[in-house]
Amino acid sequence: MEDRTDGRNANQLRPLGCSRTILNRAHGSARWSQGNTIVLAAVYGPKAGTKKGENPEKASFEVIWKPKTGQIGKQEREYEMILKRTLQSICLVNVHPNTTTSVIVQVVGDDGSLLPCAINASCAALVDAGIPMKHLAVSISCGLMEEGSIILDLTKSEEEKLKAFAYLVFPNSPLSVIDKVHSSKEEPIEHGIITSVSYGAMPVSGYFDCLERGRAASAAISEFLRRSLQKQSSEDASRAAQ
Amino acid sequence: MDVDTGNMTQTNLVDKVVVPGDVVLDLTKMENQTIKLGSGLHQDCDYISVMQAGKLRLSKPNKYWVESSQKRYVPRLEDTVLGIVVEHRSDNFLVDIKAPNLAFLPVLAFEGGTRRNIPKFETGTLIYARVVKANGIMNPELSCTDASGKAAEFGQLKNGYMFETSTGLARMLLSSPTCPVLEALGKKISFETAVGLNGRVWVNASSPDDVILVSNAIMRSEFLSGTQQRIMAEKLLERLQKS
Repeated sequence: MEDRTDGRNANQLRPLGCSRTILNRAHGSARWSQGNTIVLAAVYGPKAGTKKGENPEKASFEVIWKPKTGQIGKQEREYEMILKRTLQSICLVNVHPNTTTSVIVQVVGDDGSLLPCAINASCAALVDAGIPMKHLAVSISCGLMEEGSIILDLTKSEEEKLKAFAYLVFPNSPLSVIDKVHSSKEEPIEHGIITSVSYGAMPVSGYFDCLERGRAASAAISEFLRRSLQKQSSEDASRAAQ
Repeated sequence: MDVDTGNMTQTNLVDKVVVPGDVVLDLTKMENQTIKLGSGLHQDCDYISVMQAGKLRLSKPNKYWVESSQKRYVPRLEDTVLGIVVEHRSDNFLVDIKAPNLAFLPVLAFEGGTRRNIPKFETGTLIYARVVKANGIMNPELSCTDASGKAAEFGQLKNGYMFETSTGLARMLLSSPTCPVLEALGKKISFETAVGLNGRVWVNASSPDDVILVSNAIMRSEFLSGTQQRIMAEKLLERLQKS
């Protein structure tokens, strides 16, 4: 197995960074970085009214993707559509019917795994804005090498070299007071999958390997997200409570 | 005794920070009990799970809610809020209260309000009102009277200065015993303030210097502890006395 250019091993993720409430005017905002890929997400809403063609009995989402340079083209529209559907499936849409929530994603740095980074940033921004959600979404990129091994958290050069890779979004692992024995009949929630975007041709077994590895790694990102949410809110709450 | 130990295992997340998706109560284990759910929690078949990130709180015996602080406001019954009039329709004023929908304030919802003495509120008027109808679907409704029909300080707020804060800071300012920063400022300056649970605060004092000082002190006090708030307020007051 060849070494990756930045010296990581196959299962190692780049250093993660998350900071919330960074924009003054946005109702919720977050900045998520994975190595040199940095994305800034801002959430405005819920605002009254839905667009034409949207179901007024549910809350609707609107995503605007702003690339770092260049004009907005088909790639950005595709990212907007994927992000909108992902966010719609993790948020509770019946709490505020007939409203629109806007999510604006600004790419600050792009070094591979851009869509997963944007999904993580948007999820953190939605939590910051207090939008009701069923659970959090955690996203990761997995690449399939020629000999069948999987590498995680791809950089831009790796994405260009590889024949096939996938972006996967999983639900986070929740803290629960339910006994594990009691709910062993059903699959735990972390075994679900929210979104999968694959590029290139890969065999079915390779895809399932990607899913497995991605799922295992998503536990680490889920833990990081939980810790960063806890740290910020416990600092604020303990100061305010005294 | 059995009920007590049952409750302890079920609510071990109380006073901990929870994120959306965490399951905090298992209703199949709690039979014949009434639970009251506040903001941030919702029922998902047999489980109560978290919708918003924050600290889970329990008020004995059976009220659960998630304490979180946002820039926007979710209307709740009997909250007092500060609204800004946006439009005047024939039978109600449309008022912005930082909620997903505009609120309606009926033109007759004032003490002694009749069709002949409808108040003339222009666009931009600041109103202190009480929420009387709030469900997720309809526009919330406000009233400028208390439950018995008296005015009770509700109505237009004239002069002074209004600024926006988070809902968490508004709750802290309204907590009892009196918030330390307001107490420290109140010892040296005389001012009046109206706090809306929707994250708006109005301050009025005899001179503009006092208004600015009180507003700045309140805005800075969000993440400070009680003693830190008093020290910060005293430093600001010293600066004013010197000039």
